[in-house]
Amino acid sequence: MNIAPRYLGRGSWLARRDPRVLIVGLALFVFSVIQVWDLRILVGLALVAAVYYRSARIPFHSVRLQWAYIVFFVSFIVLANTILTGGDLRDVKSQALHVYFRMPLLNTPLSAESTSYAMAQYLRFLSMAAVGFPIAFAVAPGDIGPAFARLGVPDKFAYALDLTFRFIPSLAADMRATIDAQRIRGYEWEKKGRGPIGKLTRTVPLLVPVTVNAIVGAEDTIDAMDLRAFGTGRRSWLRELAMDRTDRLVLAGFGLLLLAVTAASLTGLTRLWVPPFLLPA
Amino acid sequence: MSTAALTRDDTWAVSSRTIVYAAIGAALYAVAAQFSFLLPGTASVSLRPGFAIVTFFGFAFGPIVGLFVGLVGNALADQISGWGLLTSWNWSIANGVVGLLTGLLGIWLAATIRNRPMRSAVAAAVAIVIGFLIVFSDIWLGTAKDVGVAFASNYLPVVVSNLIVAVILTPILVAAWDPVRESIGR
Repeated sequence: MNIAPRYLGRGSWLARRDPRVLIVGLALFVFSVIQVWDLRILVGLALVAAVYYRSARIPFHSVRLQWAYIVFFVSFIVLANTILTGGDLRDVKSQALHVYFRMPLLNTPLSAESTSYAMAQYLRFLSMAAVGFPIAFAVAPGDIGPAFARLGVPDKFAYALDLTFRFIPSLAADMRATIDAQRIRGYEWEKKGRGPIGKLTRTVPLLVPVTVNAIVGAEDTIDAMDLRAFGTGRRSWLRELAMDRTDRLVLAGFGLLLLAVTAASLTGLTRLWVPPFLLPA
Repeated sequence: MSTAALTRDDTWAVSSRTIVYAAIGAALYAVAAQFSFLLPGTASVSLRPGFAIVTFFGFAFGPIVGLFVGLVGNALADQISGWGLLTSWNWSIANGVVGLLTGLLGIWLAATIRNRPMRSAVAAAVAIVIGFLIVFSDIWLGTAKDVGVAFASNYLPVVVSNLIVAVILTPILVAAWDPVRESIGR
């Protein structure tokens, strides 16, 4: 189990960008995508996301599990929306639906519109995930703090973000060491039976020592920061960030995309669209 | 030896201690969130024992730490699992608000409930019920079609599962931490 984000995109075109581009670009892209239900526009946005993702050169075999998780989770969201709403869709009256058949027991209609809606949801989430991936895998861990500080996050909280990324690998290692130590004492996390509460309480021998040790161990970090007069003045960062022309162009591209999508959304051009081939003859 | 718990006076203070506890909590939550299991008989309600870290850190170290642990920890957990840092940003805010409210309620309820583990359970439970109301913003974001779906597939499962986790594990963590806190004088 490798929990810590790995710098898999090292050396790629995207990893050479200022890390602020990846963070702001993602925010602009997410706000663009959530306004769109039209499959034609979503395909365009998915292409943008695919090109962006490819530029991070993240080896697929290293992130297979993450992609499997995304597909599973998106499928769950799509299914929940299809089954629980009884086929009702935003902006589409139930009389206007082109129904294929009704699901047994639930009587939920499966229609051309709900199929388009499901496809739109898949595209929306997969696009957002593709643009979000490079933050974990194509930003040098040491750049996180300076990037957020330069984005206007107060120095103390930017440093907290930096520390968080630094703590993850060591805490993950502590967790593994604690699991091994408890196993030697007969502990079995995967043990069946005793119900969900029993399973929950079985996490106590892991959660309590790891949490308390982490807090007690933090005293050294706190002392080190206090000795260096942390928080008494404006903080400087060892890593200087500077955007080049390409960085500005990428950000401008995402900004323009958001403007164009917002304009289209305000004029009603991003509503659900049903491809003709889905309509029953 | 100091046995002082968090008081109203230092609720909003941001010291090196606040920063380090917030970072430790967020990292712990991001790591522990990778462990979860489905509640038998349900399709979508998974128990995440790691969620107790949000309520515990909020209660033990204050609302600012709680907010950071929930907000950043959840975003990082999503990022590590592949879901993306900002894909479900409203859920990260909801987690942060739960941590914030647990911290505030822990202070506000100090005079009413003297027993700290009991107070932590009550504070966590109320914070979860209120804080996760933010996930109804999924209707606006398009993840849930309407209030019915948002309630049945988002709000209810997350509140039920996190209530079970927080009400059981937060008092245990508080009961384990309090003697250590006293022994190290924090």
